[in-house]
Amino acid sequence: MFLTRPRHSHVTVRSTFAARWIALFALMLGITVPAFAAGDGADGDPDAVGHSADGFYLDFNPVAKVELPRIFLTREDGGGFGFDVYGSTTAAVKSGNYQMVSGAGEVLTPEQSAYVVKEEKTYYYPLQASSGEIVLDLSFTRQMVFMLIAALVLLIVGLRLASRYQKHGRETAPKGKWQNFMEVMVTFVRDEIAKPAIGDKADRFLPYLLTAFFFILLGNLFGLLPWGVTATSGIAITAALAGFTFVFTQLAGTKDYWAHIFNPPGIPTFVKVILVPVEILGLLTKPLALAFRLFGNMVSGHLVIVSLLGLIFIFGARMGDLVGYGVAPIALVLTVAIYMLKIAVSFIQAYVFTMLSAVFIGLASEEHEHHHDEHHDHAHGELNGARNGVRNGTHSGDGVRAGREAEAIVAQA
Amino acid sequence: MNAGLAFLAAGIAVLGAALAAGLGIGRLASAALEGTARQPEASGDIRTTMIIAAALIEGVAIIGEVVALVMIFTAPA
Repeated sequence: MFLTRPRHSHVTVRSTFAARWIALFALMLGITVPAFAAGDGADGDPDAVGHSADGFYLDFNPVAKVELPRIFLTREDGGGFGFDVYGSTTAAVKSGNYQMVSGAGEVLTPEQSAYVVKEEKTYYYPLQASSGEIVLDLSFTRQMVFMLIAALVLLIVGLRLASRYQKHGRETAPKGKWQNFMEVMVTFVRDEIAKPAIGDKADRFLPYLLTAFFFILLGNLFGLLPWGVTATSGIAITAALAGFTFVFTQLAGTKDYWAHIFNPPGIPTFVKVILVPVEILGLLTKPLALAFRLFGNMVSGHLVIVSLLGLIFIFGARMGDLVGYGVAPIALVLTVAIYMLKIAVSFIQAYVFTMLSAVFIGLASEEHEHHHDEHHDHAHGELNGARNGVRNGTHSGDGVRAGREAEAIVAQA
Repeated sequence: MNAGLAFLAAGIAVLGAALAAGLGIGRLASAALEGTARQPEASGDIRTTMIIAAALIEGVAIIGEVVALVMIFTAPA
């Protein structure tokens, strides 16, 4: 921006530049410190796992902690079902219908539970119904709240964008920063992810791929905001997303796709006995890996940040306060570096999830035009053709497809 | 004692998975760089294929991580 103002001298430009970096650095320190305090365990100690785990509260440390509503579906002793809604965990405990359970599995005594209520730590304890049992815990959690926020933002942005394109048509140039930015992202997903991987049928799956991409991206980025929670660091949420990809992959499956799983062509029967279970296993490991990849990447970033900041307190407690203060700058610089990495990882993981979803859908929806018993010379001719396709391919989709064909032919030859 | 052994095992599991995945992604990146240097016009396709392969290799490391997490959280106290 400062380049558009030529009346500034070089010195001023450089100092604005430096000032921006210092401001950015300070902002990030401001972001990481409350994020660290958010992870206090039940006993008040900093807890890396507790920080990235789900919970029944929103943390606005040091301003406030807000408890989330608890909703239970219970079965009473008589056999009937009950439905309880409380404004907070504390309210559920105070009502007397629910008891807190300690880590050792024992119900807290009335004195203990009164103490926990006074200290406002009820949401750290699992609950148990005083009579009957909890069938379903439908309570809001912090990851769920941020998932809903991400979905809401996506809905508003998507609908506004769609109505604008409906009004002005798709041919007019985008107006303003936001529409330009979104158009870049959408065409990126369409031209770099969907079309190369799926081919002609890409448009049919584009709505899902775009939704998944932007939802994951928003979920990842909200976790980097102050007091934010990473919705995608919950295994339930990533597993649901991977489940959608699994369903869409099966819906896209052609006859060839199912034949390759249950009756692979050109393979002796005794090998099929081994191969078919392996293929079915391969069917299920794809969404599993998809879910764990996103989950693992998002959780590990948080764990690393909290562990690095925890070094200050470990050194401070073991070797004296002075060493703690000495370690602090190093730990903070490392934290900011990891924070930057996490911004990149947020985009990369959204891209990887969408890319792999598109590849799985593309593999399932592919119709095999040529068969496995092709002649050698013919294969060679096609290999050269495919190589030329890679070299001359102006359309990247053709390039990938040609490259894939070339590989397949080389493997056969 | 048991919990300590479980933590140790978790560490070793992550060590092996991360080491193998690191070596794998390193080799992959070097091959992709070489390919891009030889044929810069194919860089887009090479990048796409590289990211897919990297994601698959990374999947192995993540399975190691999940195994470690399971060991930590199911360790007897």
